[in-house]
Amino acid sequence: MDFRDGAHNLYHIIVAIGYLGLQLLWYFMQIIVSVWYHISIVGKLRYLAVVIESEEAHQTSKVIKLLQWLDSVGVKNVCLYDMNGVLKKSKDTIFQIMKNAKSIEEVNEDVTHHAPDHMTLEFVSYVDGKEAVAKAANLIFVENFKRHDIGGELDHQILLESHLNQALQIVGCKGPEPDLLLVYGPVRSHLGFPPWRIRYTEIVHMGSLNFMRYGSLIKAIYNFTKVRHNYGT
Amino acid sequence: MFSLRFPIALKNNLITYPPKRTTKPAPSSHYLHSINSQSHLFPSQSMIVTKCDTMAVVANNIPKVALGDEVEGGTSLDEDLTMPAELKMELMPKHVAVIMDGNRRWAEMRGLPLSEGHVAGMKSLKRMVKLCLSWEIKVLTIFMFSTDNWARSKVEVEFLFSLVERIVNSEIEAIMRERIKISMIGDSSKLPESLQRMITNVEESTKNHSKLQIIAAINYGGKHDVVQACKSVTKKVQDGLLHLEDINENIVEKELQTNCTEFPYPDLLIRTSGELRVSNFLLWQLAYTEFFFNQQLWPDFGKSEFVEALSSFQKRQRRYGGRHSSPSIQ
Repeated sequence: MDFRDGAHNLYHIIVAIGYLGLQLLWYFMQIIVSVWYHISIVGKLRYLAVVIESEEAHQTSKVIKLLQWLDSVGVKNVCLYDMNGVLKKSKDTIFQIMKNAKSIEEVNEDVTHHAPDHMTLEFVSYVDGKEAVAKAANLIFVENFKRHDIGGELDHQILLESHLNQALQIVGCKGPEPDLLLVYGPVRSHLGFPPWRIRYTEIVHMGSLNFMRYGSLIKAIYNFTKVRHNYGT
Repeated sequence: MFSLRFPIALKNNLITYPPKRTTKPAPSSHYLHSINSQSHLFPSQSMIVTKCDTMAVVANNIPKVALGDEVEGGTSLDEDLTMPAELKMELMPKHVAVIMDGNRRWAEMRGLPLSEGHVAGMKSLKRMVKLCLSWEIKVLTIFMFSTDNWARSKVEVEFLFSLVERIVNSEIEAIMRERIKISMIGDSSKLPESLQRMITNVEESTKNHSKLQIIAAINYGGKHDVVQACKSVTKKVQDGLLHLEDINENIVEKELQTNCTEFPYPDLLIRTSGELRVSNFLLWQLAYTEFFFNQQLWPDFGKSEFVEALSSFQKRQRRYGGRHSSPSIQ
């Protein structure tokens, strides 16, 4: 009887040790894989945009979790967009929790070249897209009018892409073109993200924010790092 | 017991993959290709294609296959026009835009000259036009040549323009019979004069057609479209047709080159070859467009892939109704 009890206990101890060992091995593998992805991603993804369907954007806790995931893998420059400006309203809450994050307005240097010790967050909505382009064009026209007498010829050639770029900076659209744009929501559309900024942006639909997964996020970002851009050539 | 769920998803569910093929592509050999190894998809051509004269020889032997003809060696296109039961006519997108990507890769995989990839791409386009006609899609916008494509070799660029010219000229009878309206967006001033004349003539000849409008984006850039729209608005302000303070996004939108159609905003954008970008195409117009990215190379994009794209679009339409209504914007 004693022998059988002893053998039984020994069996349970071995199983428990084996279970613990496998768990430790599993967590170790996760750390290795995460570090490997982190090394692959850093430097290749300079600016990430996240588009969230406005109804889902009310889930601030999920948005914060997403930002924490991004921070953990080394993605430091993030633009958050939703059509109706819900995320803009949640800005204060997000900055309260993401203490190492700064707003793009606070960052003086080129946002893609800042030191990686903090995240830079940009909050954008529909008004920063098409409306901003119209404002920028208006600004250029006004400046052009000032250089000519009233009733004089307007110089149409003054309006080039570079001028619109500069004017957009002046009206407050400072963010660069994102390398990658992740869309969270039921629709496979960028929902009005500033059109001027997505010429060569990779667009990936991630599904609903309610079902967001760390693995899917990492895979989308990792896949981006493997893409070869031809830029039309 | 802990879960053996891997932290990284093993399968990408975000883009669709082509079905596995049973035949292997020819070994990569760009420059020499004999008639004996030609794919059955091409009509027989008595020529040996070499690197130096690839584009010119193929340009002179572009098969004259009209919209109404069957492709030699292939199945009857009339049978393939039947709309599958999974699609609903009332939920068809009004405007489909296509970035026809992958012609060159398709040719490279088969060891064919790059020009044959473009020829095969044109056949794929014809297939799509036939399907759009049958399934009552009103507008088809095709991204034929980007402002960025000038960086390609001069030989390829000239070949592409001559191919467009030849195909349109060979299809003009079918275009008139099917009442297809042809429009062009992009900066035509830099195109060869013969192509400019052809575009002008075909636009004029088809301006009253209404069954299907094909908008060919040639030397087109989305940013350039926005800039020229802003310039047009400037001109209207100068001419006293507009006040400066009236300039808003709606005014700019009316000046975009896609104002040549009743439905300027694509409902569905299809891009082939697995690329996940819009590449400076219709930047302003794509705000609410459903994206469908497919791994298939453009010459292989056929009816089944188009059905998949439309089915995906219609499922979302059924669930969420029509286009987004004007949002409460902040």
